[in-house]
Amino acid sequence: MNADLETLQKSNKTELERRGSIFNIGAPATEAVTIRDQIAVGFGDGTVRFFQSGSDPKTVKAHKGVVLSMTNYEDHVLTGGEDGRFLKISSDGNIDEIFNFGSKWVDCVASHKDTKVCSSGKTVYIWTKNKDKPKTLEHQSTVAGLAFDNKGKRLAVSRYGGVTVWKLNNNKWTASNFTWKGSHGTVTFSPDTKYIVTAMQENQIHGWRINDKADLAMRGYPSKIKSFTWVGDTPYLVTSGSSDAVCWPFDGKEGPMGRKPIVVANGGKELATFVKALNGEKAVFTGFTDGSVLLAEIDESKKPIMIRSSTGAEVSTIAISSDNSQILIGDMKGSILLSSLWADN
Amino acid sequence: MENTSQVPVTVLTGFLGAGKTTLLNRILTEQHGRKYAVIVNEFGEQGIDNDLVVDADEEVFEMNNGCICCTVRGDLIRILSGLMKRADKLDAIIVETTGLADPAPVAQTFFVDQDVADRTKLDAIVTVADAVHLSSQLVDHHEAEEQIAFADVILLNKVELVGDNDIVKVNDRIRKINPFAKIIKTTRCDAPLDEIVGLNAFSLDRVLDIEPDFLESEHDHEHDDDVTSLSFVSDTPLDMDKFQDWFGNLLRTKGQDILRSKGILNFKGEDERYVFQGVHMLMDASPMGPWPKGKDRSSRVVFIGRDLDNMNLKEGFENCKSA
Repeated sequence: MNADLETLQKSNKTELERRGSIFNIGAPATEAVTIRDQIAVGFGDGTVRFFQSGSDPKTVKAHKGVVLSMTNYEDHVLTGGEDGRFLKISSDGNIDEIFNFGSKWVDCVASHKDTKVCSSGKTVYIWTKNKDKPKTLEHQSTVAGLAFDNKGKRLAVSRYGGVTVWKLNNNKWTASNFTWKGSHGTVTFSPDTKYIVTAMQENQIHGWRINDKADLAMRGYPSKIKSFTWVGDTPYLVTSGSSDAVCWPFDGKEGPMGRKPIVVANGGKELATFVKALNGEKAVFTGFTDGSVLLAEIDESKKPIMIRSSTGAEVSTIAISSDNSQILIGDMKGSILLSSLWADN
Repeated sequence: MENTSQVPVTVLTGFLGAGKTTLLNRILTEQHGRKYAVIVNEFGEQGIDNDLVVDADEEVFEMNNGCICCTVRGDLIRILSGLMKRADKLDAIIVETTGLADPAPVAQTFFVDQDVADRTKLDAIVTVADAVHLSSQLVDHHEAEEQIAFADVILLNKVELVGDNDIVKVNDRIRKINPFAKIIKTTRCDAPLDEIVGLNAFSLDRVLDIEPDFLESEHDHEHDDDVTSLSFVSDTPLDMDKFQDWFGNLLRTKGQDILRSKGILNFKGEDERYVFQGVHMLMDASPMGPWPKGKDRSSRVVFIGRDLDNMNLKEGFENCKSA
């Protein structure tokens, strides 16, 4: 195996670092989402900052304590905090408090069109258009992940022991349970909505084919999987948690069952901590424990490109602007790189 | 190596009414110049209103890793990971468990979860015991025994309400269950905070503090399910392979009943001291430098648990002596 990262690291600063801007915020970057030509980043000091090429970031003092979760919602971001607040924030700094849970954390947030969702403890709260009072969905243990399918008809809720998939029919939510022993964290639907996949407390990911609840166990990782992203038309589910970006194929009837993953972007002794698809391409950005980031095609014969060199702090988030022109990389020490992806931009 | 950037976590146990909330309020309100976060149970004794207090709900998860007694606190993994993203660094974290909770899953969380182990470390298990009621609680509730058994520090609280003779009795009762915990007698939990927080009790080099005086084996208990302790000393060097076989097998098969184990080992042909300490089946072990000059190179092990008499511990340990 090539230690791609070690070879590339010898060449100091990368092209993207030379032409981009670096901001030192001083608090861990926890989440990043794209809103039009801006990238909003949540931090461990409770701020949400809106980054845009060519100008200084706009800072919104949103939460007291850590911004735990964030998603985009129309022209706004929704955030959940350690201070128990669920907020809607605009890039000009307007804060709208949707709900205050007091001393309970708001662990997860999600949205689809005009529906706003958050979880606190074992309960999921859903605000639909023009309704002040949320609909609540109860679970047997604390909710650790939320994901809508692409039509917004189904909401996957991960928890201890599996995933509850809620389906909306005639204004009524009905539950279907997908069971697998252990604690399930971040959850995602495959783009064709045939599979759901979770990152587990153990060093593995678990998936179910939705129509027959067939299990898919994807193991062999040396550490916990903190991040995954769907890449390309196949599509591949690319995951962190190993010294490479591990890419599981989800094509055909059986998906990854009985098949080996493709591994790209080798980090040598560093482990991948964050992965992010490059929209419209069969390529993925992979961030590592030392802060470096590689861009790799899902093709084991191709060499990856060094995007960011080592900073000494693990990559905690990566976001790409909606027009694919800008990339933002954030780490656990609060260093942010914002750069154009293409030379003539 | 000790990682100095790890935030120490103190686990606070004790029965309802023993004085945990008094202690937590002291930690949160006294001018000690340090920043402590406190994780409390939502069904705890009374609300404590403070920005540094986090509500938890004691969710015990079984790990899907084939280890039958491997349970962890899922809520703690989530909360500790969240707290580690704070901009301002915490000096310590205190985790309160309710009176009826078994402290084992909390302790095991620090062995099992890599993210938690990387960024935090278990500092000590502190048990607040009610000097008035402890004796009867030990009879009626096995959780009370376990809280005493697991402890590194026991605050024997409300001593002002108990006569001298009774204090001696309850002290002896605690010693039978747990020979190595430090017992501090308090009124309204008035012990100095630096005797409660920042002790590094789970650091392996602290195992060396095991006092030989406590290693007198005595077990005149009445029921087999009582928590007791047994200890052994050997001046004959041990055979490393034999010890590893015996001890590994013991933790695998009897780990459920062995609440804590600690020891300093003198292996034949090895210049360094080996130390270990365990919680149930999980164990941490390491060489710990050469033996001090002029001192006896004797091996010492301590077990705290249930049903220890039926584990052939003495025979097992004796068989590890090198020929």
